[in-house]
Amino acid sequence: MDKKGSYYRYINNIGWIYVAPALLLYVGLLAYPILSSLYLVTQKWQGYSHKFIGLGNFARMFRDGLFWQALGHNFLFMAIQMPLMIFLALILAVILNQGIHRFRGTLRTFFFLPAVTSLVAYSVLFRIILQTNGLLNSFMMNLHLITQPIGWLNDPFWAKMTIVLALTWRWTGYNMVFFLVGLQNIDTQIYEAAEVDGASRLRQFFNITIPLLVPVILFSAVTSTNGTMQLFDEPNVLTWEGGPANATMTVALYIYRQAFVLNSDFGYASALSYVMVLISGLLAYLQIRFLRERS
Amino acid sequence: MKRFLVILFVTAILVGNAFANGKKEAAGSAAMSNAPTTITVWDWDPNFNGYAIKEAAAVYAKIHPNVTIDNVDIPTGIESKIEAGLQAGGQGLPDIALFQDFQIERFVKNYPGAFVDLKAAGVDYSQFAQYKVGPMTDGNKIYGIPFDTGSTGLWLRADMLKAIGLNPADYQKNMTWPEVIKLAETVKAKGGKPMFAVDTTNIDLFRIMVQSTGTQLFKADGTLDLNTPAVKQALTYIKQMNDEGLLYKAEGWNNWIAAFNNGDASGFVQALWIIGTLKTKPENAGKWMVVPTPSMVGIDGARNASNNGGSSWYVFSSSKNKATAVDFLKQTWATNTPAVNEFYNTILKGAGAMGTFLPSRNGSNYTAPDSYFYQSQPVYESFAKWMAEVPTLNYTPGYPAMVNSVRDAIQQLFAGKYTTVDQTIAGATQAYNQVTGN
Repeated sequence: MDKKGSYYRYINNIGWIYVAPALLLYVGLLAYPILSSLYLVTQKWQGYSHKFIGLGNFARMFRDGLFWQALGHNFLFMAIQMPLMIFLALILAVILNQGIHRFRGTLRTFFFLPAVTSLVAYSVLFRIILQTNGLLNSFMMNLHLITQPIGWLNDPFWAKMTIVLALTWRWTGYNMVFFLVGLQNIDTQIYEAAEVDGASRLRQFFNITIPLLVPVILFSAVTSTNGTMQLFDEPNVLTWEGGPANATMTVALYIYRQAFVLNSDFGYASALSYVMVLISGLLAYLQIRFLRERS
Repeated sequence: MKRFLVILFVTAILVGNAFANGKKEAAGSAAMSNAPTTITVWDWDPNFNGYAIKEAAAVYAKIHPNVTIDNVDIPTGIESKIEAGLQAGGQGLPDIALFQDFQIERFVKNYPGAFVDLKAAGVDYSQFAQYKVGPMTDGNKIYGIPFDTGSTGLWLRADMLKAIGLNPADYQKNMTWPEVIKLAETVKAKGGKPMFAVDTTNIDLFRIMVQSTGTQLFKADGTLDLNTPAVKQALTYIKQMNDEGLLYKAEGWNNWIAAFNNGDASGFVQALWIIGTLKTKPENAGKWMVVPTPSMVGIDGARNASNNGGSSWYVFSSSKNKATAVDFLKQTWATNTPAVNEFYNTILKGAGAMGTFLPSRNGSNYTAPDSYFYQSQPVYESFAKWMAEVPTLNYTPGYPAMVNSVRDAIQQLFAGKYTTVDQTIAGATQAYNQVTGN
């Protein structure tokens, strides 16, 4: 009796019944695929047939220049787009929080709207605006700002910038909302004290606002890093399958193409997925470490 | 509690098995019946192949009113969707799907048994253009029903040639690429605009040039071989036209269509299935003419005919209504009856879809003048004639990956990253080997 009691102390019947549906879903939809992909990683897969190649997929990955190129693009987008977006979001948040009093709610909604737009829909719209004979080029040509149309989608450099532009458009408002919340948590007395001391608005921004927002900024950085590592829709739709000539190819898009477009090679695609998860995890870990040290 | 968990798991397993058994039984009953049946078909262009299958459904409804054909339009990524369905053991797949001829060999090789053998089901393949039958054949089995031909020509705006003082009649003949490039130079010098519209996201121009010589892009063992005279010459012409500013480079299909429909460019090389797209601009009536595909120079087998695209219908083995699906395709596309020949005649006029069912080629629309074109040119008569000269091309399972690699290399050539033809070929070959893991 005593023994049975101690065992049942850890098993809460009702609790298990409550979590059973979620647990079953978790096992079926998350744990099982993750475990079975461990098997996929060791296989050379081709449609219905596959054979064991051990770590062969990883060996192939090290030789695969296109994979490294794609990974480089992920980091490039991260390095250029993330600081740009966070800085813009910060400025917008400060202006909405302090500078403007009328239409604040409307403007907030306006800046947040891109984040709820369908990925494919906005990629297609950007494509129409940015194509060689598109709206932006015609507009700039008519104003005589440029003499030759710019290959926003055709030129390797401009295509990368197009992706940066699109990502910034979509996610700035989203991050701005976090900063707005962060700003409202800063004690106004600090600003009043600074004003008494004669600190300018600019000085206040750099010496009070930014240091006090560091935790929110880091939170934005972690989520954006994750998002950029998984970048897929924009290069697939906006710049035609990572074009021109793979100039905007990303790891996630390359994985998809290995499995579903070019080779039916689900083994290699799984191996690359594991590497991508590993890199994302490592980056998140470093950022969280950094966050803890700072706060 | 433990007992409860055990019961839960056992129930789950039993329910799972019951579903599995149910599926097996349903797949077993594949014989035809007179019960109401729906056949689902996937294709990608409601104005072209979607239209054709609806016309076929109308023909079949007269013989079997109990069968409904449900046409589903998959505008992009149809191969990825099918790939996902095949990996899931046929879940979510339609009964019939349309495949580009260059895509099917990859599926036949990677997914053995995924398609119904239609030769065994009694389709007479001697009635079809033989170059269409090759890609769908695997040993003794033949899997598809050929749909359309991709017979190509050089499309030119006769009115634009006249506007700069040229006589369109001078170009209605077999020409070589150097002759056509000379024409493009004149058009550029006098009209100020590039003559050729090309879509930089595909390799249609390259493919049409190479195939007009009958050159294969792969060796017999399936390895890529781009070091051929035809490939080199095609890239040389493409590079020359790009360097001289004779190409209007559009990104993507819609942009490309806009380029010639809006008059930004006065010509392009493409198959006859583009006719439907041309006719969406009634204001261009009387302006377009088509002349033979330019030929390559000094290469064995070079001729003024080529092929681009073309697709065929396939029945999935996972279909629950296999017999009906096969019968539908057979009765409407592959049986020599007046109704079937009239059907082919109808879709030719209706959508510019030229079938490859040889008995149908005597239809009235094949020789009829078409008032949409310059001097009411009877364009289908020309394309049918050129189709007979198209050399056979063996696609291979690696073809889709090759298309991507060559496209990327040509984009690098356009961007100035590659400066020579040899560099372009080496770049494409290397990219192909990397992506396919060879």
